[in-house]
Amino acid sequence: MTGMGLYNSLNVYLFIGLALLACGILGVVYRRTLISMLISIELIMNGAGLNLVAFNRFVAPDNAYGMAFTLFIMGIAAAEAAIALAIIILILRRYRHVEGAKLKEMKD
Amino acid sequence: MIFADIIFVIIILITLGGALMTVLSGSIIYALMGLVTTMFGIAGLYIYLNAPFLAMMQILIYVGAISVLITFAIMLIGPLYKKPKEWSYPLKFILAAVVALFSFFVFAKVILKTQWTVLSKPFAISTKDIGRLLFDRLTFPFELISLVIVVAIIGAVMLSLYSRGEK
Repeated sequence: MTGMGLYNSLNVYLFIGLALLACGILGVVYRRTLISMLISIELIMNGAGLNLVAFNRFVAPDNAYGMAFTLFIMGIAAAEAAIALAIIILILRRYRHVEGAKLKEMKD
Repeated sequence: MIFADIIFVIIILITLGGALMTVLSGSIIYALMGLVTTMFGIAGLYIYLNAPFLAMMQILIYVGAISVLITFAIMLIGPLYKKPKEWSYPLKFILAAVVALFSFFVFAKVILKTQWTVLSKPFAISTKDIGRLLFDRLTFPFELISLVIVVAIIGAVMLSLYSRGEK
């Protein structure tokens, strides 16, 4: 009558956050352009926020610190996206490409 | 109650499908569309976690602001058909998949072995409580975040202004 109650277990949310983390790591390692890497980093940050809210809901339901911290993560992500995109535009203006593997001037 | 389960599974599938589309698609703009799909799925999960304010903030900030920012960056880097495809060579994909799966299984083991002390209390945090917490106890981090955002915006403007002369 009450169904599976799948949305009432902590592990489901933790595994979704973990899948987002794995997808983000795969994207950061594998994608070529810098913008795709930035998008993958956004995925990782979303997984972290989902984990925080899930812990707040299930482990510490008395206060709202997890939710406040997720709001902080959103603000940090916005600032990080602005700075990273400015740097990507600079790289494009200087080198005429945005590929991460070709940026090896300091390595040579 | 079974109806809520069905919708929850659909939301999970939307989230994971969007994440896979973000990672595996061939062009950047499809990856961005996958990111937007994932954001909507996570907003749905926030609603299931009794956090509707965070769901709204998720849609406003991520889907509304960051996606538009990334879209403008994609438009600024020029025509996409001249760029090489994202699918480079298969060995790199295999190695990246090994890294991702390794981290996945390590953390899955950690999650399954840890005994979380799940409290079965009802969760009744309203938006008013979040606002009280933000402006009562976390006032200093809140102001610090706003300072970080202002500095980031000024830095982005400075970066794109003062590098125009050099080539």
